[in-house]
Amino acid sequence: MQLLIEAIGFGIAAGAVIALGAVGFSVQFGMSNILNITYGSLMTLGAYVGLFLIDRGISPWAALAIAGVVVAVFSVGFHRWLLAPLVRRGTRAFAIVIVTVSAGVVLQYVIVIFAGPEAKSYGEQSAQTFHLGYLLMTASQVTIVLITTVLMLALHLLLTRTTIGRAMRATASNRILAQSCGINTDRISDIAWFLSGTLCGAAGVALAITTVSFDFSLGAVFLIPMIAAAVLGGIGQPYGAMLGALVVGTASELAAAYSNPAYREVVAFAILIIMLLVRPRGLFGTAWATRRLMT
Amino acid sequence: MSEASPILEVRDLAKSYGGVRAVDGVTFTAARGAITGLIGPNGAGKSTALNVIGGFLSPDGGRVIFDGEDVTGWPMHRLARRGLVRTFQLARVFGGLTTIENLLVAAPGHRGESAWGILAGKRYWGKQEEQLVLQAREMLRSFGMEAKADEFARNLSGGQKRAVETMRALMMRPKLLLLDEPMAGLSPSLSRQLEDLFLKLTGEGMSLLLVEHGLDTVERICGKVVVMAQGKVLSEGRMTELRTRKEVQDAYVIG
Amino acid sequence: MGAWEFYLVVILVYLGTDLLAAWGLNLEFGVSGVANLAFIVTIAAGAYAYVVFTLDTPAAGGSFQQYVGGFHQPFPIAVVAGALAGSIVGVLIGITGLKRLRQDYQAVAMLVVSLMAATVVSADTPFLNGNAGLVLLPQFTPFSDQDPETRRWLFVGIVAATCVIGYFVLRRFTTGPIGRTLRAMRDDELAASAIGKDIVAMRLAVQGVGGAFGGVSGALLVAFIAGWSPGAWAYIETLALLTAVIVGGMGNDRGVTIGTFLIAILVLQGVQFLPQSFNSLRLGLREDMGWILLGTLTIVFIWVRPQGILPERRPKYGGGP
Repeated sequence: MQLLIEAIGFGIAAGAVIALGAVGFSVQFGMSNILNITYGSLMTLGAYVGLFLIDRGISPWAALAIAGVVVAVFSVGFHRWLLAPLVRRGTRAFAIVIVTVSAGVVLQYVIVIFAGPEAKSYGEQSAQTFHLGYLLMTASQVTIVLITTVLMLALHLLLTRTTIGRAMRATASNRILAQSCGINTDRISDIAWFLSGTLCGAAGVALAITTVSFDFSLGAVFLIPMIAAAVLGGIGQPYGAMLGALVVGTASELAAAYSNPAYREVVAFAILIIMLLVRPRGLFGTAWATRRLMT
Repeated sequence: MSEASPILEVRDLAKSYGGVRAVDGVTFTAARGAITGLIGPNGAGKSTALNVIGGFLSPDGGRVIFDGEDVTGWPMHRLARRGLVRTFQLARVFGGLTTIENLLVAAPGHRGESAWGILAGKRYWGKQEEQLVLQAREMLRSFGMEAKADEFARNLSGGQKRAVETMRALMMRPKLLLLDEPMAGLSPSLSRQLEDLFLKLTGEGMSLLLVEHGLDTVERICGKVVVMAQGKVLSEGRMTELRTRKEVQDAYVIG
Repeated sequence: MGAWEFYLVVILVYLGTDLLAAWGLNLEFGVSGVANLAFIVTIAAGAYAYVVFTLDTPAAGGSFQQYVGGFHQPFPIAVVAGALAGSIVGVLIGITGLKRLRQDYQAVAMLVVSLMAATVVSADTPFLNGNAGLVLLPQFTPFSDQDPETRRWLFVGIVAATCVIGYFVLRRFTTGPIGRTLRAMRDDELAASAIGKDIVAMRLAVQGVGGAFGGVSGALLVAFIAGWSPGAWAYIETLALLTAVIVGGMGNDRGVTIGTFLIAILVLQGVQFLPQSFNSLRLGLREDMGWILLGTLTIVFIWVRPQGILPERRPKYGGGP
């Protein structure tokens, strides 16, 4: 029983980090209909920017915010000057995804060249732990869960209570219709990519905080659980991604606790493959979203 | 001709689409060697019915009997091989192939596509290929497109693509051709040319089933006409009679 | 054998095996439109099959490696086993990719399959010795009665002969009526179905044939380098092949040949010639730059010239005006 509750605790912590990434990824797909595989390397960029700052004495949480902004800028630029023009020219979806995969590879190895291939670490985190019954979590994990909750709430408020948020939802739903309502869809896209880029960078730092050590493959490895969460929740649906992240996180930790720790990754793979093959629109994807997925 | 068995028999066909019963117990026959029209107001379920008959959608219920054989639920390629061929409302050409290749690829039973044919090479299928090329060129000539034979199909105009789609269907020597609004967007003179072509084809034994909004066309070339509304068959008969029936008039007004 | 001569042998063997792989991928993707980004797994299947067929039983080798099989077969049989393994794996991958998904979604699914295969093989040690991989002991190349120098050049000859035969077989599939039909399937699956083509059967057949090419490529490569581990077939390896196909010219066999030459030789070997100073900075720096160059090339070509260096040719038919 203790094992179960501990695993659930880890699952919530893991889910929080995955949620940061999955929601950003989902927003990008919902807004621009692009599976942005570069997202993984952008998370890695966030982690390394965070490392750069932390090594210079900045607190991890400030580093998280700054790294988020840096990655946000990269993301907007990447979409605006590379992806969007390609889409405008009628480049097929497959070619776009190849571009994002290639860009991910390039970014990853540029990071390696500057920072070196050896494992890095954010150093000793506070060893303070919190107990709630059998639940056991470190201070960092609790903080991340709190930060994620706050960010998700902020996103929710933005999407539902602000004009920009409504414009974003309109553009994601039907771009042409939104344009005819006078919405500057290009600017809204930029804003969406900036915000999701922030989440991406934050996710990278959060990942680095919660792992003992990491290297340039950080983003690539964790991209799988994030895509799994996004697909599970219905790709393009940020709220679905949040739920999906919890499921993926908890399932992975349970698998690791009850059988082989190596199976943590395999669970995410399995969820993703099964979803793609059996129910690509996920749990909450609408039929409309699915039409974008099927040929 | 009316003594022969119908080329197509549809019984109690049903198809639901996103919660709506788009096709709700449709029954009708299409005569051999004739042009049968399928008309009705928007949303009547005509296109859905055509899609089910053509194998693009699988029916939720009912039967489709083609040339005496129960083909309910058959996939599109199997139906096409048996002679039940459909064309698309928006012309779908193979853009990376040339115009003549678009026609050649439709020829059924090419020896060069069998496993043995692939390995054996040109010696095995060369003769058949030559004859098909002649046939294809002839068809291009009759449609006035022989100059575009070696042009990549993606570079053709919209009207030319429609022509290619039709030619491609004809290369298959279908027994029954399903057409979804073939006259849509065509000028009156082109419309008339297509009508003449259809009449010529049925004269040669082919059967046609077409969904069409232009009631003048329907009147001119269709033998029997089936009227659908709200997923059901409302009425059938010759166009001239149908025009006078009250329920048909009401359906078109109310829609 | 001088260092330069040996280097030439290495380049030729790599070029030959890369060509076979690129042709297979081009058949699947360039000609038939199958977005198989898990292609590297067919190469791995061929390599592992070759090793498992060539080695003696695990016990005979002192049990220092664990694996299934160990049939101790001669070279030709092991290569055929590699081809079959690649083919079967190709079809299995094809089955997972059958659902009518949008192409980019499918591409990601294939990348995940590729990653998953590597993870499973890494973790499951009794299957193929897990992460450590398998080593051929003693190094087994054919013509073992000759001296090493002659042996190496004879192996180059074998690779060259396989390429010639492979190209001949390839052309059977990429030209003529079947080539036309495959391209039709690539351009519009639905319309192809409407003219009577059995899409499912064709896709699986193409992945079987493409997989055989991959399998032979892997088998020949491992026969030469005498070792194979999950590190050798990371999911990004498919990208190197894909770059060759895109840069060379999708759907054009000659184009893809040129593209492979460019990628395998100029890029992947070219970076080896970067000043020695690069490597003294850090080990593996040159490979990293190679990947950066590949990724950049892919993006540039998709941006500027997606049809590649040699675009698809326009076939002419006789009896015209």
